Amino acid sequence: MAAKTTQNPSVEVDEESPGAVQNFLAGLGGPIVALYATLRDMVRILGLTFYYIINGKWGARRRRDILLQMYEVGNRSIVFIAVTLGFLGMILIFQAGFQANRITGDLSLLGALFLQLLLREFAPTITAMMLATRVGTGMAAQLGSMVVTEQVDALRMSGAQPVDYLVVPRFVAALIMMVVLTVFAIIVSFIAGAITANAFYGVNPRTFVDFRMLTWFDLWIGLAKAVAYGIAVPITACQAGLSVVGGSEGVGLATTNAVVNASLAVIVLDFLISGIGYAILSIL
Amino acid sequence: MIRVENISKSHLGRPVLRDISFVVEDGSNLGLIGPGGSGKTVLLKIICGLIRPDSGKIFINDVDVMSLKETELAELRKGLGMLFQNYALFDDMTVSENIAFPLRQAGTASEEEIQGLVKGLLQEIGLPTAAEKYPNELSGGMKKRVSFARAVIHQPPILFYDDPTAGLDPVTSSKIFRLLTQMKAEHGTTSITVSHDIDGIKEICENFVMLERGELIFYGSREEIEATDIKFVRQFWDASSDDELG
Amino acid sequence: MINPLKKIGAQFLDWADTVGGLVVMMGRVFANAAPWKLDGPQVWRSLYRIGVNSFPIVVVTALLTGAIMVIQAGMFIQKYGAYGLLGWGAGYSILREVGPILIGLMFSGRVGANTTAELGTMKITDQVDALRALAIDPVRYLVVPRVISMVFMLLVLVIIGDFAALFGGAITGQLLLGVDWKLFVWSIIEYIKLEDFTHGLWKALVFGYSIGIISCYFGMRTSGGAMGVGRAVNASVVGSAIAIFVFDYFITYAMH
Repeated sequence: MAAKTTQNPSVEVDEESPGAVQNFLAGLGGPIVALYATLRDMVRILGLTFYYIINGKWGARRRRDILLQMYEVGNRSIVFIAVTLGFLGMILIFQAGFQANRITGDLSLLGALFLQLLLREFAPTITAMMLATRVGTGMAAQLGSMVVTEQVDALRMSGAQPVDYLVVPRFVAALIMMVVLTVFAIIVSFIAGAITANAFYGVNPRTFVDFRMLTWFDLWIGLAKAVAYGIAVPITACQAGLSVVGGSEGVGLATTNAVVNASLAVIVLDFLISGIGYAILSIL
Repeated sequence: MIRVENISKSHLGRPVLRDISFVVEDGSNLGLIGPGGSGKTVLLKIICGLIRPDSGKIFINDVDVMSLKETELAELRKGLGMLFQNYALFDDMTVSENIAFPLRQAGTASEEEIQGLVKGLLQEIGLPTAAEKYPNELSGGMKKRVSFARAVIHQPPILFYDDPTAGLDPVTSSKIFRLLTQMKAEHGTTSITVSHDIDGIKEICENFVMLERGELIFYGSREEIEATDIKFVRQFWDASSDDELG
Repeated sequence: MINPLKKIGAQFLDWADTVGGLVVMMGRVFANAAPWKLDGPQVWRSLYRIGVNSFPIVVVTALLTGAIMVIQAGMFIQKYGAYGLLGWGAGYSILREVGPILIGLMFSGRVGANTTAELGTMKITDQVDALRALAIDPVRYLVVPRVISMVFMLLVLVIIGDFAALFGGAITGQLLLGVDWKLFVWSIIEYIKLEDFTHGLWKALVFGYSIGIISCYFGMRTSGGAMGVGRAVNASVVGSAIAIFVFDYFITYAMH
């Protein structure tokens, strides 16, 4: 770290005021530097989390914390996920059915294709975005409050490591629940879609519920996304919470950052995994 | 022994601490005083390794604090205790869980021993019935005392008190200072105390460092500060001001 | 046996309270939105801040969304060899559904959460009460400018975002799927109708309004210190997300 000693504050420092170009670059560079610092911090926390999963204190307390977090993440999000993904299912079938009717008039594959799309894309991604908002704000606010009230300092003074003690249980819980809730989302959305298909286009549920087109690829992609999101969401949220500065306003800012960072991470991962999945599919 | 050497720290371009140096001998008690915002809490946290300074070194018992990794710092902190300005009690734990926390983390004492020590401390701080209560059920003074118990349960030889009587009424304040005096008398602990309560701090500290806007403007014994010529220090010590505000 | 029922009952009352409060807020905003009552400088300030805040992230989101939709459509199209339909398939879903929804969600996260946090912090530091003491109506001064800016801004952002998404889709189509971007663009022009585009814009308006009302409502209702602000932001983004999906369905249904 650079040493800064201002022993003689009365010495005059002559500065030109920055020009327009400098201001622009500073305006551009500022966010980029901040982004880089945030990413580095996230990678650091991710690394520490994995380290403490292997090396940390596992015991009754940890198990209790994980269960508590799983309840926080899971049970309290069920209704939210059911509503949003239920409506999503209705929307998608409504649109797809309408188009299919117009173009081919053949709706026999509607259910099968819908299930594929649900597994590959919409269920994991939308579930993750919903959890990014619901759970991301919760974790960031909790950890942020602890930073502001010096509880995190007190943890360190008592010999506990904040990442070990606070992040690991949330991480494990979020990962497990993300997968579980994605499965739940698939079920809810599919049922909502089936009902919509029947109500608006007269598609027989037996025709709709069609697993013939499902492949291992779809399952693997869906699982890969759920796992990736399950890692990204808690880490981004906890990073936002732990990096709070400045009192109550800082906590509010942290929750906003958590939602934005987590959502963006989900979309970026979605793009990457979809792309890789496509590449693999083309090779096979 | 604590050695503070040339500590400087800036925050967002503004200097918070400028080239601070002093020594705290074993068994002695240093009072850290100064107007609000002069960097006292930051200095305390730098000494514990909670914040990194921009430059300078801290030696606790000849160990360079800055050179330690987090796990090594955890070892060092087994010999330190800190009483936080805003108690920093863990909201999701009971009083006895809060107090026992450092011992449980260290993992060196048995569950029985821990229970015994917690009980004893609750007696000492005058809260024998509060064991199963949660922090949000306690008053400010009670929380301060619980925080004190948590800071001392692992019997650290070095203690840091960050504004132990902030926001407390005079009766509770004197109770707290009595606890600190007891600590000093019975265990010969080394301590650094930050406080605005000059009368209280006079009782327990032999040496004083005064900061003003991040600069060290006085470092010496109680006799020296009572006889000092520096006007600002004099005013602060005597808690009087004949000058106009500012 | 009683307890679960009690909980459900309490939940229901809670929801009813929230819905009622939102309707009241909508009424007050409407009452204060007459042009002569508008606080011009506040509206401009709000527009600027929201625009600057959300532009980069919406553009990035849109680009990636377009790319993702092309990849997903691509997997089906490759199977059937219908490359001429890629532009249509991706374009249709982006303009009507995925564009407004994802941009709306990102907007809710970036601007909605921020607004709730801002107003919430003002509420718990008594600044809102201070306004009242100065005989300034907090709804007129704080809420209305924000709601108006959010409606307007989200509309602008969805328009820009739609183009960004189609651009992202075209590039991805070219680079990853080997579908010539000219074919992609032709496919869009040939098959996509203007009403597909405006369908998404109507949604943008409704989403913007919902996010505005919801975020301001929870912000103004914050209580309980720093944790309260966190809870308010939580409620705000959750509520906005639900509103987006529910309204999307009803608009889709109504406009067919």
